[in-house]
Amino acid sequence: MAEFTTEDALRSRWSAAARPRAVRWFSGLGVVFVLGAAALGLLATRLTGMSYAVALAVAVVLLLTGGSCLGAAVVVQYPRAVGRLLQRLGLPLFLLAVAAIIVVAWAPVLLWPDKPLIVRDVLAVVGAVGFVSLFASFAIWWERKVAGRIQSRLGPMRVGGWHGWAQSIADGLKLFQKEDILPGGGDAVLFRMAAYVTFVPALSLFIALPFSAAWVGRDLDVGLLLIVALFGLGVIGVLLGGWASNNKWSMYGAMREACQVISYEIPLGFSLLIPIMVAGTLRLTTIGELQAGGFWTWLAFRNPFTLIAALTFLIATLASCKRAPFDLPEAESELVAGYMTEYSGFRWALFMFAEYAEMFAAGALTAILFFGAWHSPLPAAWGAAWATGPLWQQALHGVVFSGPLWLIFKGIFFVYVQIWLRWTLPRIRLDQVMHACVQFMLPVTMVVLLAQTFWQLLVPAGSVLAVALNLACTVLGALVALGIASIAVYGLRYRRRLVGTLVVDHLPGS
Amino acid sequence: MYEAIAFYLLAAVVAGSAFGCVIATNIVRMALCLLGTLGGVALLYFLMAANFLGVVQLIVYAGGTLIVIVFGVMLTSRAAGVRLRPKRSEALAGTLICIGLLAGLVTLLVRTAWPAAQSEAQAYDVAWLGNELLSTYLVPFEMVSVLLLAVMIGAAFLAQPSGKDKEPEER
Amino acid sequence: MPDAPLTNSPDSLADVERVVPGELRTEEMLLNMGPQHPSTHGVLRLVLRTDGELVLEAVPHIGYLHRCAEKIGESVASFQFIPITDRLDYLAAMINNQGFSLAVEKLAGLEVPERARYIRVIMAELNRIASHLVSFGTYGLDMGAFTPFLYGFREREYILDLFEAACGARLTYSFITPGGVTQDLPDGFLDNLARFLDYFEPKIDEYNDLLSFNYIFIKRTAGVGVISPEDAIAYGLTGPCLRGSGVKWDLRRCMPYELYDRFDFEIPVGVAGGTDRIPREVVAGDSWSRYFVRMQEMKQSVRILRQCVQQLPAGEFRNKPKGILKLPPKEVYLEVEGARGQLGFLVVGDGKAVPRRVKIRGPSFCNLAITKHVCRQVLLADIAAILGSIDVVMGEVDR
Repeated sequence: MAEFTTEDALRSRWSAAARPRAVRWFSGLGVVFVLGAAALGLLATRLTGMSYAVALAVAVVLLLTGGSCLGAAVVVQYPRAVGRLLQRLGLPLFLLAVAAIIVVAWAPVLLWPDKPLIVRDVLAVVGAVGFVSLFASFAIWWERKVAGRIQSRLGPMRVGGWHGWAQSIADGLKLFQKEDILPGGGDAVLFRMAAYVTFVPALSLFIALPFSAAWVGRDLDVGLLLIVALFGLGVIGVLLGGWASNNKWSMYGAMREACQVISYEIPLGFSLLIPIMVAGTLRLTTIGELQAGGFWTWLAFRNPFTLIAALTFLIATLASCKRAPFDLPEAESELVAGYMTEYSGFRWALFMFAEYAEMFAAGALTAILFFGAWHSPLPAAWGAAWATGPLWQQALHGVVFSGPLWLIFKGIFFVYVQIWLRWTLPRIRLDQVMHACVQFMLPVTMVVLLAQTFWQLLVPAGSVLAVALNLACTVLGALVALGIASIAVYGLRYRRRLVGTLVVDHLPGS
Repeated sequence: MYEAIAFYLLAAVVAGSAFGCVIATNIVRMALCLLGTLGGVALLYFLMAANFLGVVQLIVYAGGTLIVIVFGVMLTSRAAGVRLRPKRSEALAGTLICIGLLAGLVTLLVRTAWPAAQSEAQAYDVAWLGNELLSTYLVPFEMVSVLLLAVMIGAAFLAQPSGKDKEPEER
Repeated sequence: MPDAPLTNSPDSLADVERVVPGELRTEEMLLNMGPQHPSTHGVLRLVLRTDGELVLEAVPHIGYLHRCAEKIGESVASFQFIPITDRLDYLAAMINNQGFSLAVEKLAGLEVPERARYIRVIMAELNRIASHLVSFGTYGLDMGAFTPFLYGFREREYILDLFEAACGARLTYSFITPGGVTQDLPDGFLDNLARFLDYFEPKIDEYNDLLSFNYIFIKRTAGVGVISPEDAIAYGLTGPCLRGSGVKWDLRRCMPYELYDRFDFEIPVGVAGGTDRIPREVVAGDSWSRYFVRMQEMKQSVRILRQCVQQLPAGEFRNKPKGILKLPPKEVYLEVEGARGQLGFLVVGDGKAVPRRVKIRGPSFCNLAITKHVCRQVLLADIAAILGSIDVVMGEVDR
């Protein structure tokens, strides 16, 4: 079987006669656009204020379009050479492009502090959309790799070269091209709206989700409540999607999902009340800054009640994001794909994006509320000198002590935990899900809430009891983290022995 | 200037959704239009810097009441072909009443001397709201809690199985 | 429910198709778990009458995989029918071959050499392990545990490699024919088999820890779809379904064929929970017992295989009859213990090479009959649990 390489993918669809004309058109347009961008950029330096920003934005757009046209001309003219280059440099180029986009997007923020607010808002929205798209693509690839490794196989390996990193991009392009099927007899308007109604709240909650004390779209004083509200709004889209599919199985999935998500909003809310009580505010940045003093100040380790609240919050978010073991709405063995059965192409991709966005938001929220937000385990006070130094010192401070990278890392870690659980545990039946919610989660969270109330009222902050329990929970948390890490190291070191000799002999390269 | 644009846009969304909810014949589409109305009202609250109220509107109305309505609608209108069309006389009477109400409301809005906003919106943040609820407005707060408790007990009582059907065994 | 129950008769099928959506009562829903469904293990159609999540009645409709196997048996010679038997229970094809070959040999009075018999037992037990691995994997998949499926198929790859070395095929072997087997075992087969057995036996315990004793799995399957021993015998259940209800009946022990009376192995049956490592919620005859009987049977098959490897003699691998084998004008009905139950072959000879009638008793066909009886007043998610534990293969049901 012949390999399908990057060269094959880039080979032009035009006939040999049409190709020179295409190259001429592309290069011509590209040159025109680039020159126009340059002219507009020169003009922009003479303007001020709003017209300056607009002219700059248009110039950047023209530059990108012109660059793409020139690139297309090169690809049509020299497909083989470009293919070989991409094969080798694909991944570094992609990462460089992502970094460049981030820099270009945030450079105005850092270099021109007194820009109009609307520019900052547009950047925040674009950043949120970009981050969600990028994260969803990454998370789908990551889930397939992790699932493969748990199942004793490799996951995507081919698309793009190194461990199939471009698999999500290829899948996205494929979904783009699929026929848009609307189920006959289903409500077409509702069918379309359902995908949007699910996607928009999942995207909107990134407005209020802080990535760091300064990196936040809108630092609302009710930020936490807004995120919880938007979590719950996703249910409507799922219900509408299940209804509009004109499919009894989709209806089952939608009903189950609505039951489950609504029921688990109650333990979710109760668990959320604990950090709100400790912090005394709904503002997420304040809750985050409360945990700046090293990992013994993280809210999960303050006392046993907050630890239990952290665990119940994790379980409740699992149910809220419809992830296994609570994935009845998407139960593949019973309902094919539940409420998503009739969706194909990009509409399905919208549902998937919404799900992964919610997963990251849930993980990030867990991190912000309980596990130190955007701070590293080291106290931020140790690096206070770097926070106000030159740019490279600030960047180092962001990497070592506290910065958005840490929140993204923690969010991805909790998504990682969710992926582990999905590929290990079987599915819980709906009545058992309800049973667990009402007869286990609800009493536990209520008791914890009461206990935390009395703890806060009766036990002074610096007393011996508080410090002792803080220390005990911290040690417990550190031991659990060490335990997980050591199991991982042990598995890595003895992986050939653990999996068995026959498997090892059959592995490629052995 | 931007606030005026945002207000007119949101008002159009709210009014349009409400209108759509009234004239829709498919009951599930009515629910969708209701979502537009309630969501639009929440956004209007955000526009007025009443953040807490907007969030509560989202949680309670869009995320709670609307879901109950959609549930009820979907579970009771299995026959998808049911179309809700009012009779001619009903539509005429409804339109006349609406025009009368609109005239009354517009007159009221135009004739009243609305005072300008007195203080900074930021002064009324969530902490202030919580304090007021538990000090100045404690009695209404407790009364509402008792009312909600009565509602929950009533709902639990009404949702009981009628006793005729055998329940599946607990596993 | 005060309603005429749905039956399998053609009239009621027409009734099912004719129901108009507007006439549905709001309490009940007719749901089609259609021929194409991830958890009906093949082309099985279940028509469910549900009240919300509660299934009031489940009626199986079969026939989507009917390929006229028995009719073909009347037009081809006995040795030509072997590939057709492959495709009955396509997950345990060697045992199908073995059953038909034994029936033809008994009818024609054909002697089979000792070595051939041992090779047959080796292939049959290996295929039993392979079939139970598929059953274990797909049952986990139905319950939402995606990983054991991949592990089961990883082990199955080694078994299929052994089969490929022996006869060239991975799924439909046509290896066991009347008179013996088609080819002798290749060099190194027994060493590879021994290596595989050493590798595989601890894996069964691993899978028990991963899936069988997982709390969520137990909650999903224990106490679900309980079949009493009396019901099991009345409905003609055989194989792990019967043994899961506590009835200690295995043809290899009770009516031994081939060489099974020479081997030392146990017959696992389902027991009530609380003893040994059996979880407390388990009742004899529930889905968990049927599933766990299969896991224990894999261990017993490994035991038999080890004894075969030790005892295998040298000799002929086939007693090839002169010319085409003619079947005397008698009839023979013979049953073997297939992976899913008692697989029976009735061969009626005519004096010619082509039999007059071949009738196949598919164990899954009889096992499926209990679906309607046991899938009453259960939740929708339990249907998958019950079907997965009965473990039907539609090739045997429809033939």
